[in-house]
Amino acid sequence: MSERPEASAAKLQAIEQACGRLFDEVPCYISIQDREFRILAANRKALEDFGQCVGEFCYQVYKGRSHPCPECPVARTFADGCEHSSQEKIFDRRGLPRDVLVNTRPLRDSCGQVVAAMELFTDVTVQKELEHRLHDSLTRFQHLFDLAPCFISVQDREFRVIEANRRLMENFTWRVGGRCYEIYKGRSAPCAQCLVAETFQDGKPRCGEDVLVDRTGRPVHVVVHTAAIRDPGGEVTAVMELCDDVSEIRALEDKLASLGRLVGGIAHSVKNVLEGLRGGLYIGNVGFRDNKPEDIRAGWEMVERNVARLSRLIMDMLYCVREASPRRLPVCPAALVREVFALYAQRAQQSGISLEAEADDELVLMAEPRDIHSLLSNLVSNAIDACCSEEGEGKCYRVKVRVARQDEEAVIQVEDNGVGMDEETRSKLFTKFFSTKGPFGTGLGLLVAHKVVTEHGGTISAQSSPGQGSIFTVRLPLQSPIPGVASTNVRGATP
Amino acid sequence: MSNGKKILVVDDEPDVCTYLSRLFEDHGYSVRCAADGEQALQAVEQDKPDLITLDLSMPHTSGVRFYREIKSRSEFSSIPVIFVTGITGPTGSAADTERFYASRRQMPPPDAFVAKPIDPEEMLGLVRRLLSKGDSQ
Repeated sequence: MSERPEASAAKLQAIEQACGRLFDEVPCYISIQDREFRILAANRKALEDFGQCVGEFCYQVYKGRSHPCPECPVARTFADGCEHSSQEKIFDRRGLPRDVLVNTRPLRDSCGQVVAAMELFTDVTVQKELEHRLHDSLTRFQHLFDLAPCFISVQDREFRVIEANRRLMENFTWRVGGRCYEIYKGRSAPCAQCLVAETFQDGKPRCGEDVLVDRTGRPVHVVVHTAAIRDPGGEVTAVMELCDDVSEIRALEDKLASLGRLVGGIAHSVKNVLEGLRGGLYIGNVGFRDNKPEDIRAGWEMVERNVARLSRLIMDMLYCVREASPRRLPVCPAALVREVFALYAQRAQQSGISLEAEADDELVLMAEPRDIHSLLSNLVSNAIDACCSEEGEGKCYRVKVRVARQDEEAVIQVEDNGVGMDEETRSKLFTKFFSTKGPFGTGLGLLVAHKVVTEHGGTISAQSSPGQGSIFTVRLPLQSPIPGVASTNVRGATP
Repeated sequence: MSNGKKILVVDDEPDVCTYLSRLFEDHGYSVRCAADGEQALQAVEQDKPDLITLDLSMPHTSGVRFYREIKSRSEFSSIPVIFVTGITGPTGSAADTERFYASRRQMPPPDAFVAKPIDPEEMLGLVRRLLSKGDSQ
């Protein structure tokens, strides 16, 4: 049964009114345009924000342009009859920019011809603004993460590094998906004690110290902090590990500690010397009291010996704290070896030690002669002491010094077949105030040797084992490593 | 004139040994010297002394080992031992050092302690006191 015509007309009118209201009330801008982009109709929101725009050109109203836009979705809809979309920035009547999503669709006549296009703008200014802010904070966060003066990683339960800051990537052998223990320590298995594992277990932050190995193989002392990263349900999903490089502080602490030991050692030496002086005075005075010349002599000798020891100690100390860089004069080590041997000849002979030299007389290097003399003297005297400290029945003790050229270096070796050293003693040799010789050493001899060698751009090392003797090897560049100092071929020059 | 008391001086510094020997001999003691812990132990075993002065800061901690050894052996543990050393505590005072040694649990505290440089009167006074204590026991 069909409706009466007046009833259906009323219905149609009601629908049209509803559509008109909807057109006006939707929370976006809607306009209808002809092929020339002239606005034929606009909804209320568009009229409110862009003024009386009906009859104006779309590009004028929305963008203040005098010509159509190059990429126009309305033009494309007219061209192909399809819907199109784009993102645009438009300006309202007060000139305020608005970010909009644009959708266009064709309006056809009864023959199916496109006679107009509907353009719908959804205002996304607020979303765009939030997007920008989010992007900015992410960039800022990444920037901070990268620039933070420590190594930061985020790790999963398998210690896989999910995120790492730039400093970490630059300093360690980094690869995507690498495990913490591989990257930081070159290990193939997790560390025995792991703060990240502990934080995963109870979610609590941890702090500790560790030593990592950077990509060059250098040990890096770090203070480690860990913190749990949780999902919205409170479950620990990752752990952030922050490692602060404290290597320089540790090095400084070591230096201070060895300075402390040095001062302590010197004080100890000085007290022993003082004791020797007191002893000498006491015995001398007893000699005077009892009129015994042999006691007077013995006391006087003790005083002399301890005064000499004190002078040696003070000279070594002064050398150790000297700041000036050494002069560079032609030095013939072979000649210095002879001088040093002459100094110790009597002591060696008395102890039945033979002094042997195998030295290239032609070899000359640029150095401070007094320093090289002091270096040789310390090493030879140590070698003699090493022979004296062993009680080997019938053993023929010898101290042998070799001086030879190897490429552009002078190699000086001082070898003895004396008491030798264990690994612990050997490891302390050049770094600490250290003496195994009680009354005979100042404890500074090898520190002096080390300083001489370092100041001349060379190296010193020791090989030794208990009962087998020791070999000290010094390598010094023939030519000065200091720029500006004459560096001609000095081989064969006379000292 | 000898008072018959025997003192063992253990020090790796020959001059200190000479000094203390002469000091003690001049006051009637008979003295024997040892330059390290091993020699000292031999000396104690061969001829038990009435008192020992011991330098603890000898190389290779041989002084400490020697001290632990004799304190652990009943036949020697009653011999009074005076520590003599150039190493003093953080403030450099003898009292501090004494407290330090006394606080080390691995080692029984010494009977007395003398810091280098040695005051001869203090040393002789200590020796007399410790030896007379031994006599009265």
